[in-house]
Amino acid sequence: MSHLLIYIIPGISDGAVYAIAALGLVLTYKTSGVFNFAHGAVIGAAAYLFYQFRDRQHMPWPVAAVLTLICVGIIGGLLLERLAYYLADAPTVMRVVATVGLLVGIDTLFTAIYGAQTLQFAPYLPQGGPEIAGVQVSAADFIITALALAGTAGLYLFFRRAKLGVAMQAVVDDPSLLSLQGTSPIAVRRLAWTLGASFAAISGMLFAPEIGIDVNDMTILAIAAFSAAAIGLFKSLPLTFLGAMVIGVGTSLLGDALQNVRNITIESIPPNLPFLLLFAVMLFVPRGKLVEQGIGRVRGFKPLRRYGPRIMLPIVALALAVGILIPNLVGAAYLNQYTTGLAYAVIFGSLALLLWTSGQISLCQLAFAAVGASTFAHALSSGMPWLVALLFAGLITVPLGVLVAIPAFRLSGIYLAIATFAFGIMLERLFYTTFLMFGSSDALELPRPRIFGLNLTSDKAYYYTVLVVVVLCCAVIVLVGRSRLGRLLRGLGDSPAALEAHGGNTKVTRLFVFCISAFLAGIGGALIVGVTQSASGTSGGTFDFTGSLFLLAVLAFCGRRPILSPFIAAFVYQVTKIYPFFRDPNVVKWEGVVFGALAIGVAIVPAITVPIRGRASLRRSQQAMTGIGLLPMPEFSA
Amino acid sequence: MTAQSDLRVDNMTVRFGGLTAVDSVTLEAKAGVVTGLIGPNGAGKTTIFNACAGAVKASSGSTWLGEVRLDHHGVARRASLGLGRTFQRMELFNSMTVNENVALGPETMFSSRRPWGQLWCSRRDGADVAERSRVAMQLCGISGLATRTVGDMPTGQRRLVELARAIATPFKFLMLDEPSSGLDVVETEKFGDILQKFVSETGVGVLLVEHDIALVSSVCSHIYVLEFGNLISSGAAAETLASDAVRSAYLGTDSVYSEVEQSDRAEVGSHA
Repeated sequence: MSHLLIYIIPGISDGAVYAIAALGLVLTYKTSGVFNFAHGAVIGAAAYLFYQFRDRQHMPWPVAAVLTLICVGIIGGLLLERLAYYLADAPTVMRVVATVGLLVGIDTLFTAIYGAQTLQFAPYLPQGGPEIAGVQVSAADFIITALALAGTAGLYLFFRRAKLGVAMQAVVDDPSLLSLQGTSPIAVRRLAWTLGASFAAISGMLFAPEIGIDVNDMTILAIAAFSAAAIGLFKSLPLTFLGAMVIGVGTSLLGDALQNVRNITIESIPPNLPFLLLFAVMLFVPRGKLVEQGIGRVRGFKPLRRYGPRIMLPIVALALAVGILIPNLVGAAYLNQYTTGLAYAVIFGSLALLLWTSGQISLCQLAFAAVGASTFAHALSSGMPWLVALLFAGLITVPLGVLVAIPAFRLSGIYLAIATFAFGIMLERLFYTTFLMFGSSDALELPRPRIFGLNLTSDKAYYYTVLVVVVLCCAVIVLVGRSRLGRLLRGLGDSPAALEAHGGNTKVTRLFVFCISAFLAGIGGALIVGVTQSASGTSGGTFDFTGSLFLLAVLAFCGRRPILSPFIAAFVYQVTKIYPFFRDPNVVKWEGVVFGALAIGVAIVPAITVPIRGRASLRRSQQAMTGIGLLPMPEFSA
Repeated sequence: MTAQSDLRVDNMTVRFGGLTAVDSVTLEAKAGVVTGLIGPNGAGKTTIFNACAGAVKASSGSTWLGEVRLDHHGVARRASLGLGRTFQRMELFNSMTVNENVALGPETMFSSRRPWGQLWCSRRDGADVAERSRVAMQLCGISGLATRTVGDMPTGQRRLVELARAIATPFKFLMLDEPSSGLDVVETEKFGDILQKFVSETGVGVLLVEHDIALVSSVCSHIYVLEFGNLISSGAAAETLASDAVRSAYLGTDSVYSEVEQSDRAEVGSHA
């Protein structure tokens, strides 16, 4: 038993930190309907600020902790409340875009300031403590666990007993109604977000000494919190606490049980248990148990203006002419960047098909691309002709599209985004380094094409090869858009309920769109690795899961056109890098902040033009109710 | 022409946790006529709709479309078997034009007939969809709006688009959930005329949930009245609306009803 306790006790402590982070997440989601993908960034921000105050400004840790709580918990919470307010009526896609933009922006900001390396952080809580069944338990473990328990119990009682707690749950559904009852929805939302951000800040400060301070690790910590929240079905605080404990203790115990296993996939299961659990919950929890908060209030997208062939044909002809002339217009040194940009346009196109045409969210497009790239490399090395290998790379990603479509059958909106996010990370962490994908050496060599006796290995020839494939992919997207499936996809994006009410099988529609999207992303991935003639799944490299978040953020501010927007996005994301201004180290360092800010801007701009329901509105409502006798007249003192 | 069917609900009970929203309700809506389902807010009308359509699971009882029992089927399957519906809160394809909206109704239905139906549209299907859309838009008087984007249109026109889409789809029975909400008096009258014309021309039965008593009394031949999930009255429209039970439960005081009745009579007289 004492052998197990060695693993269980630190597991409980880790689980307690996950619980504190998850409580903040559930609290804000329950009260705003906005699932904060940037929760990890908030946790990271707290850890960095705590480091700044304690280690760089040499403040005593309690003072540093209070200052961090004020900066992240209160000021950060109030800023997040404003963001959530502007997102209250936004379509789910834009809510995801905004919070992903925030994540990208904050992560880039702190990486730019503190560098990409992990900052070491000395423990500050007392480490000594009693022995339990022969196992030394530190005071820090006791404090962290007590904090998590107190937080869970306190919030649970607050939601059930306090008037403000009940109001917090009502504010997401109908703030106007709440204001008519004399409770300010703004005050309720502010309290919820400051509490939520404070919980996130505390978890960041508690985890910093355990793992050091690193942007990616904090994002991973947040995903453990997502997982705990998923076990609590994103609403139950006690179940969230329990889920966090299962993750903490489970990770620790599994690490012990599998420490002698020499299989690369199995031995990487323990640290990746949170992602596995998150995806499993999304895959198996009944649909009715996951009800999206605040969805009844969302507005649709403004319909796009359509252009006839008289306008479109000249534009397409001009675009093709520019595409053909590019090798002659740009220097040879820059041509490969354009080729990569074209390949990215296919991946952006696959994402646009999901997002803008059918209203489905995917945060794992680069995982599809990675499968396409690695399969392409394997197929070429096995002697398969280039074109066949490319087609094979696309087709092999289709079953993955099916796998992701399974949660899409039952889930939509925010839950689908979470499921695809978990799937992307799971694939990267468990399979990228296996022989099925990039292998343990993490580098696959691949040749450029020789098709029908033509040598297309030069940069220029490869550019034209990619251009032809990209034009064909665009033709596929246009054909899908104009087909019956395209009309059904647009119907799915606008109103799945109406489609079902007319006999439409939305499961089949979702299955088709995910398969086509995965196929295109697979092709795009294969084309990308053809540029450098090597494929790698290195963390932080081309196919890193954070890249999928960047893609979403960039595509969001490039419009909602199915063909034009992916090309603009690819240009912004890849091709601009060849220009001196965009190669400046400072610009490279800060570009994520700009991408993030633009994504947030696109998501909230429609709400800013809508009249804001503030205190004046609340006062008017109360006056109106008083006037017609539904509220008592205020008493005036002499 | 598709054989039309009656809709029959036998002893339906719907519970949400401890709350019984619909309690042992039995009703029958015939093909070729409009049947009204009325009652105060919270009476359980939309719950019955949702249970018939498969969006809500009934705790007990059964739903029949003609001779076909629907209880074990999901929403899409019930619709493809011929049970159509509209929504209290309109569900339109806002990014599409009026013509595309109306056409997507029958096209969706046709796509469900074959496993690969979503990928492939035969020339015959295409022609059928176009013809059905044309006729439905003409009937609803929205042919002139065919190229307008639905998301930018006013409520009255959007209601007609939703009706046209339902009419264009080869349903055997239609359930309309408060179709006149948001319409003014003139629009409501026009809506009633279209509905009557559609029913008399096609023989499709309609179950109508509606708060507008003028519309109910003008188009319905038979009415069921619900209160707190229980059926409290049913029968021919005029007698049912005049019954004391309905007045006290739904219409409020005698004087209010009398005003409605008098204004309706006056209107009928002026038309005559």
